[in-house]
Amino acid sequence: MSGGGIARGRLAEERKSWRKNHPHGFVARPDNAPDGSLDLMVWKCIIPGKPGTDWEGGFFPLTLHFSEDYPSKPPKCKFPQGFFHPNVYPSGTVCLSILNEDYGWRPAITVKQILVGIQDLLDQPNPADPAQTDGYQLFVQDPTEYRRRVRQQSKLYPPTL
Amino acid sequence: MADFVEDLDSLFDYRRVQPITIPDDDDDDDDCHVKTPVPSPKKRKISKHTVEIVGGDREVSQATNDDEDWLLPPPKDSSESPKQIDEDSTIKELRLRKQELKAFTSKECLFQPKREGDSVQVALESGAEEPSKPHHERAKIVISIQDKDEVKQFRVYKDEKFERLFKRYADKAKLRIESLVFMFDGDKINLTATPDSLGMDDEDIIEVLAKKN
Repeated sequence: MSGGGIARGRLAEERKSWRKNHPHGFVARPDNAPDGSLDLMVWKCIIPGKPGTDWEGGFFPLTLHFSEDYPSKPPKCKFPQGFFHPNVYPSGTVCLSILNEDYGWRPAITVKQILVGIQDLLDQPNPADPAQTDGYQLFVQDPTEYRRRVRQQSKLYPPTL
Repeated sequence: MADFVEDLDSLFDYRRVQPITIPDDDDDDDDCHVKTPVPSPKKRKISKHTVEIVGGDREVSQATNDDEDWLLPPPKDSSESPKQIDEDSTIKELRLRKQELKAFTSKECLFQPKREGDSVQVALESGAEEPSKPHHERAKIVISIQDKDEVKQFRVYKDEKFERLFKRYADKAKLRIESLVFMFDGDKINLTATPDSLGMDDEDIIEVLAKKN
């Protein structure tokens, strides 16, 4: 339970600093629990596609699932199921070095750094670490079709005004 | 939620004032020391004189017990009987009661005790302070408005509708307010909402986006 206390304390701090400083167009907030209170362990986020890329105009929903072992262990970051990207598993889970406990994760990495890292990943896939067949094969074999699919997907996630 | 509690606090403050407005004109009473719980040095002198003139043994001894500042030895020869003094003080006490009752019923009670300048001043001061207090306590908050290029900070009242802030922002940016969308925590902000109603803290960021037509 003490681990949970640490996780919640850290997440409350993350929340506080996010509200005062975050990159434009991003959203990150704890989910609402069924009883109406905030569930600090699950965050609903929005990652805007970078301007000037095929991802521009898209506002992609991402959910962060924190465990009681956070920040010793990274959160699991999920796009919607079937999200089109070479480094996203069919389940929607993002495959990224800084989100890998045994590889690039450090407890000091902030929510902001995670989200900006994932925004970077959208336009800069890592072909050395594929997570889905569809996105990976098109990216490697048919760049034109790949870009068309990306632009198409961006239109699927318009800003929620 | 805590913010709402703060708002209520100022209301209670206002109520607390009322007892202060009751005039304290005990000065013309003989046994002032017995009745007034907190005599000021000024009052003591006055009552000292009163006691001397009356020259009552009982009164003097009481005063001596109560007041360490009492320096004059009590007059030893008592020409008047203590009875008279009792009567005198009873009448005065009754008069005082009557005044007090009058004060309760009259709003102008503040200005009645002309003899005691101190207490009038206190009453006036507190009377002047209290109504202005709610203005001081109307809490302000610093809000950051962020567009794609920069962050601007604004100081607004916590219970002020966002409409005014957004108009200020739009005027500064030379944009029409209708062409802008203001978001907090991923939700569009209603013009009638306030920082309080959204539970905002100092320096929380509002994101502003240009509407696409």
